Amino acid sequence: MCADDEVSLLVIVVDVNPIWWGQQAQREPEFTLSKCLDAVMVVGNSHMAMARTNKLAVIASHCQDSHFLFPSKSWRGADNGGDDASSSGDGKYELLSVANNLIAEEIRNVMSKSEYKGNSTETLLAGSLAKALCSGQEMKSRILVIKAAEDCARQYMNFMNVIFAAQKQNILIDACVLDSDSGLLQQACDITGGLYLKIPQKVALGQYLLWVFLPDLEQRSQLVLPPPAHVDYRAACFCHRNLIEIGYVCSVCLSIFCNFSPICTTCETAFKIQLPQMVKPKKKKLKQPT
Amino acid sequence: MASLSEEVLLVVKKVRQRKQDGTLYLMAERIAWGPEGKDRFTVSHLYADIRCQKISPDGKAKVQLQLVLHSGESTTFHFANESTALKDREAAKELLQQLLPKFKKKANKELEEKNRMLQEDPVLFQLYKDLVVSQVISAEEFWANRLGGVTNTDPAQYKYKQEVGISGAFLADIRPQTDGCNGLRYNLTADIIESIFRTYPAVKQKYNENVPHNLTEKEFWTRFFQSHYFHRDRINTGTQDIFSECAKQDEKGLKSMVVQGVKNPLVDLLSLEDKTLDEGYGVCGAQPSTSNSNRTVKESSNYAIIKRFNHHSAMVLAAGSRKGETPTDQASETSSTDGNSRDSDFFQPPVKKVKLQEEYEDLQQENRPKTVPLNLKKSDRYAHGPVPLQSQQYTTSQDIINSVNYIQHEMANYKPNLTQVLSSTVATSAISALSPGGVLMQAGAQQAINQMVPSEVQGELKHLYVAAGELLRHFWSCFPVNTPFLEEKLTGHLEEMLQTAYNKFHIWQTRRMMRKT
Repeated sequence: MCADDEVSLLVIVVDVNPIWWGQQAQREPEFTLSKCLDAVMVVGNSHMAMARTNKLAVIASHCQDSHFLFPSKSWRGADNGGDDASSSGDGKYELLSVANNLIAEEIRNVMSKSEYKGNSTETLLAGSLAKALCSGQEMKSRILVIKAAEDCARQYMNFMNVIFAAQKQNILIDACVLDSDSGLLQQACDITGGLYLKIPQKVALGQYLLWVFLPDLEQRSQLVLPPPAHVDYRAACFCHRNLIEIGYVCSVCLSIFCNFSPICTTCETAFKIQLPQMVKPKKKKLKQPT
Repeated sequence: MASLSEEVLLVVKKVRQRKQDGTLYLMAERIAWGPEGKDRFTVSHLYADIRCQKISPDGKAKVQLQLVLHSGESTTFHFANESTALKDREAAKELLQQLLPKFKKKANKELEEKNRMLQEDPVLFQLYKDLVVSQVISAEEFWANRLGGVTNTDPAQYKYKQEVGISGAFLADIRPQTDGCNGLRYNLTADIIESIFRTYPAVKQKYNENVPHNLTEKEFWTRFFQSHYFHRDRINTGTQDIFSECAKQDEKGLKSMVVQGVKNPLVDLLSLEDKTLDEGYGVCGAQPSTSNSNRTVKESSNYAIIKRFNHHSAMVLAAGSRKGETPTDQASETSSTDGNSRDSDFFQPPVKKVKLQEEYEDLQQENRPKTVPLNLKKSDRYAHGPVPLQSQQYTTSQDIINSVNYIQHEMANYKPNLTQVLSSTVATSAISALSPGGVLMQAGAQQAINQMVPSEVQGELKHLYVAAGELLRHFWSCFPVNTPFLEEKLTGHLEEMLQTAYNKFHIWQTRRMMRKT
């Protein structure tokens, strides 16, 4: 298997968008944020149990900020051994029980503190990913994103930057999507070499996570996993935001348009195109009948 | 009959062709024969059409001359004049020998060029096969745009050939072998002889003067090697030798080279000399003087060797830059060619030397062409990705508040319940979806197209694609339609071409499809 002293970090980024989860709880009471977090804990524990040198980090991605659920600031590691109720009495590996308790405590804090202000209903996923990238600097790491709400259009630039940074650092980004397909995450998985999966049954989230996302890169080559989906890399035109396959590109500012216009609206360059010369029809002289 | 403007170079009477008496005329551009008594030429060939000429062997009774054309056919002329047959034939042969090469080059040059282009570029060759051989395009059209180089006789293309230079060690390579008792055997090849002649024009001149009138070649070379001219230490130059003159001329040449000096102002050879730092570092003792008088024997022999060495190197370099021109004036050659004369443009008096050093092109400010600054009015467009601006779902603010409250309520009492994460039915349904053949595993069955299509079909398709591109190029080159010629070409000729091409493609397609089924 893997070398014993190789540290492998798994960062799980959970989308805890309260609006979506609140609506989800009303739609489908059997699968709520609690269930989701349970499944996340299961996969986190499994990862830590696979090898002693495996490490875990969990980030909650909210509308207003991103929060590290584990490891959190209040965690002192081995120092805090005895005095809190970490020994749950069932003989569990201490690290796992400590982690679970911390995650639960932190998520309670995060969700209770959120005083909803402003109009943002979108998850700040790009920021969470950036934090995840920063935490995985010195060791081999990968990121697992569990996405609930839709893509945010305004985060596109940041998202793409994060994706390319991850690619440069050889950090995999996997995505497990609960509800609607996300083009950005599809691109992220394609570019960094991770797996993208939209699960058909939300209640079976735990099973999907364990089957597909628990093995790391070397182990995945030995397994039969869902094949990569076809990614739509089409660009969107700047005028209508339609996805186009063939378009016009301004040679000065590289903005993409779906229709030709003589002036580029972004950089105001005028383009001259020579139209083909019209051949004037010759008037045929009628022959005089002799 | 021959046109009046044609210049007749040679007329030979009594030449029979196909058992008919007649006269042979050699003109400026063609050779012609007319039967006796008639005005017309029955046989006329352009020199350009003639591939080669053949003559009958000298001993035979019939004195004949045969012309073989490029097309393969041949014409034979029989010189029937009893007294002058041989002379006539020789005259005709000589003239033809001079004329044929001139015309041969013109005709073949184009063909050669075409062949060369086809051989060098396999894509072009394939295109040629696809389009011209299968008669979609005529050969002239194919070559119309590509042969620009030949008619302009672009000399740049023919500069690829470099002349072979002279090895500096050519004299040393003639390693003498001992010939048994007290003799030395020198092996001279034609290459070495040529090198010697090119490097030392003096020796060549001596050769031309003496061989074969006075000495045989063998004797000449024997004397050459025996002479002290060849040997390293040329101290005794007083011996009677045909090469003693060469030695004197070499001295003269060397002196003039030294006088000419180095023209590069950045190289100051005169400041170089043997300097001593201290005992043990460098040459101790008095500075060596250039006069011959106070030299020891050893010093002067060293001096002679070094002088010869320098002279030899200078001559080798000079010969390389002379490029095989026949030496006309010997003195001017040895004096005017030395390695540094290329900088003659930069020859400046020493006063300007410092200023020259200050101006190095690389370090000066670049004169970049002026550019227009980029002026983006709406730069936020770039930040937006291929995601719709408006979200699909619209949530009212009341909904939002409700949801937030709900979730806060739910999570306030969150306790992980890790034993109830999955039920077995749910888990098994997930596993079956993930197993091969399941819902999520369908996409893997598709293969890339280039694995399904055999490579030969791919290759053929590529050739067809390239040929179609070429046809399109002909099509687009007709625009803008300015002349009626182009218009006619478009509507008539090209239509036909494209139709032929399309038919070809159709045939290929059906053939391939039938093969599959």
